[in-house]
Amino acid sequence: MMAIVKNKVGIVSCSGEELPEGTVSRIATRLVLEKLRPDETVTICLPLFLAGGEDERSFTRVYPTITVDGCEKQCAKVGTSKYSGKPAATLLVTDILKKHPELELASRDELTPEETIVVDLMVEEIVKKVDEILYQQKRMGN
Amino acid sequence: MTDLSNHKKIAIVACAGMDKGLGSVARTSVFKVVEELRSDRVELISLVPLLSDVAPHTALVTSMPIVIVDGCIERCATKLIIKKGGRIKGRVLVSNSARKYGVTPKSASDIGQDGEKLSNAIADEAASLVDKLIGEKKDE
Repeated sequence: MMAIVKNKVGIVSCSGEELPEGTVSRIATRLVLEKLRPDETVTICLPLFLAGGEDERSFTRVYPTITVDGCEKQCAKVGTSKYSGKPAATLLVTDILKKHPELELASRDELTPEETIVVDLMVEEIVKKVDEILYQQKRMGN
Repeated sequence: MTDLSNHKKIAIVACAGMDKGLGSVARTSVFKVVEELRSDRVELISLVPLLSDVAPHTALVTSMPIVIVDGCIERCATKLIIKKGGRIKGRVLVSNSARKYGVTPKSASDIGQDGEKLSNAIADEAASLVDKLIGEKKDE
């Protein structure tokens, strides 16, 4: 059996092209991976995950995983649960939009400066979850 | 919902890769085809909902000719569309095109100027494939 990797959290993003929310989930995930928690996070492409073999599908068994979904279809959560295992946490862009009805999304490719506010809020949520998971791991390890 | 099975349009599917700049180029180039170059001739099929079986596209991929833009040598989009019984009629591989044009995207979150050039070239290639397939359809 594969052991959980300590001090690393997996992030699987929806990345859907059909809706602007998919673009937000993708950009927010990349920002966390590249800028905010580069040493503490890893990702796997959802399609590779779904197309791949046992190595790819063991992802949630190796890393506690956060799924970041754009819309209510929750493809990342559904795909991750179906092919790998239950995510440690799930996040949804539309939850942010519900909390902030003043914010609107329209662009699928390049986001406007106003739309990037949604990205910033999503980034905040992801980072919060990453830190929570790492803190829990630390406590359990002590 | 758009009727994707009328054969007047071509379905286009991009790699949804997250961890390489090549995936981001695939995504950007497909947006260019769908939104700018051939908006009246193509329908975008998003790989992730298709594979998670949460969107009603499963039956539709089997009834339309498909153009694939794969990011890297893993060719996930191709593999997954085949798995779903799709009829792939045209393919572009971003990593091959990157070698062909001698450019490399900067990163997954920012493809940079070279990535933009590459995505424009790939979008043109994909648009040509769409035109060819529509032409073939007319001749049938």
